[in-house]
Amino acid sequence: MRDMAPVTVGVLALQGGVGEHIALLKKAATHIASSHGTTTSSPKGGIIEFNFVEVRTAEQLARTDALIIPGGESTTMAIVARRLGLLDPLRHFVKVDHKPVWGTCAGLVMLAEEASATKQGGQELVGGLDVRVLRNRYGTQIQSFVAELDLPFLGDGEKPFRGVFIRAPVVEEIMSRSAAGESDHVAEPAANGNSNNTTEPVQVLGVFRKPGATGEPDEDVVAVRQRNVFGTSFHPELTDDIRIHTWWLGQVLAAVRHGDLVVSKTE
Amino acid sequence: MAANLNGANGRGDDAFTVKAGLAQMLKGGVIMDVTTAAEARIAEEAGAVAVMALERIPSDIRKMGGVARMSNPEMIKEIQAAVTIPVMAKARIGHIVECQILEALGVDYVDESEVLTPADDQFHVQKSGFTIPFVCGCRNLGEALRRIAEGAAMIRTKGEAGTGDIVEAVKHIRTVNAEIARAKSALDQGGDLAISALARELGCDAGLLRRTAELGRLPVVNFAAGGVATPADAALMMHLGCDGVFVGSGIFKDAETPEHAAKRARAIVKATHNWNQPTALIEAAIEHGVAMKGISNAGLKPEEKMAGRGW
Repeated sequence: MRDMAPVTVGVLALQGGVGEHIALLKKAATHIASSHGTTTSSPKGGIIEFNFVEVRTAEQLARTDALIIPGGESTTMAIVARRLGLLDPLRHFVKVDHKPVWGTCAGLVMLAEEASATKQGGQELVGGLDVRVLRNRYGTQIQSFVAELDLPFLGDGEKPFRGVFIRAPVVEEIMSRSAAGESDHVAEPAANGNSNNTTEPVQVLGVFRKPGATGEPDEDVVAVRQRNVFGTSFHPELTDDIRIHTWWLGQVLAAVRHGDLVVSKTE
Repeated sequence: MAANLNGANGRGDDAFTVKAGLAQMLKGGVIMDVTTAAEARIAEEAGAVAVMALERIPSDIRKMGGVARMSNPEMIKEIQAAVTIPVMAKARIGHIVECQILEALGVDYVDESEVLTPADDQFHVQKSGFTIPFVCGCRNLGEALRRIAEGAAMIRTKGEAGTGDIVEAVKHIRTVNAEIARAKSALDQGGDLAISALARELGCDAGLLRRTAELGRLPVVNFAAGGVATPADAALMMHLGCDGVFVGSGIFKDAETPEHAAKRARAIVKATHNWNQPTALIEAAIEHGVAMKGISNAGLKPEEKMAGRGW
């Protein structure tokens, strides 16, 4: 076993709710260190430390082990990422290196292989989740809301999570693998036809049922995972509830422990 | 900074969390004034995080005179149909019904704006009763906290709209920053008593002032506005601690062609994202080309200034 460098967790800082994520990541890391010390032990038995950074360039991304793409305006993020030459490095990070990535709201849009209700002419995506998201599912800001969500992945008996939905997207379709491959219109040749994973399916980790609704059509998929990629329609970073950040950092640590994620040397 | 904005503490705060949350998602971005669907598309393609739909850009409001009012809903609808990014619109200070109309139209944010002719010389709109969020201008901390107390979920500097002169916006953000520093030291040295005294002096709610002192920043997102004409202006306002930038007349005023406006828009977005990267700022300045001619703020008569509207 190699020496354990700190795990560098980045937040893509092109625009949007960057500081909010970093604040909750820090709280979650403190929580992990204080209450679940044993779960953070490295293969050598030492404590794994986290290093939280803002990511604006390909060089910074290359030094990052796991990444959050925050909420913001996905059209803006795509345009700015394109101009900074970040789209292909991001695709490589997600779909070739298979490093842990979590997208919230606009970040979920960026991580989808397809998006509908995009601006005229469509928008570029990073991809990684074999899903099609529907942008602005609930309408304009007037229809934004907070709702309690049951999220079984947080563990049995956990109280509901207050999901903040702001002009939120939802997963409108989980695509079959062949369909995802054929419709991969966003990627550059290097990553083209290469959706995230050919063996692992998309898991639905959370649904939102409109109050009073019972049937399937009234359910929206609002949290999904496929291999290394996790996405939520809502904004945990706009609450003071650290549970999802804690869970996700736990997933990152598990990837390190299992050798799926080799931590980069920082200095 | 914005890290401290986390805080949906309970159900009572949910409505405000959603309102302030949209502004948090706009941070680091540029919001552009547009008067047509075509201009809105230029803004969207340039990377604007939102557009402000209005009938005339501030420099033309200034030139044409008369009473400036809420825009025609027909035009706002066309802009809403043209873009997928948030659409904001302006209502006159104190004009409750214009705000209700904009809410019913489904715009994403209302700017209760001094750029339009005020409708009420006593009261701003009580904004907390609306479902739609509001942004309001300020010249100092007291004014910002009075607007937040009324329910504003986002603040911007007033600057001096339509001039292309950045001096007033700089003055306003510097004043806010200096007063926040005073509030912090008041809290550190004199606790609640000192905060109460300062709140009386600034004319604002003591609880909000205490919260501001604890956070070391305004408790909501704070953008620059009023006189931003060039990429360097946008970067300057980011340097001074603004969370993002409104550009009013600076994109489309005196632009030679739609392509020139698009270049200006892209350049200002670039400068806002890279406000501390000199190389990117050089590129942005070149791409931007000739700026709007502008009017020097120092040459304006007091009655010609918009920033003095509201209190």
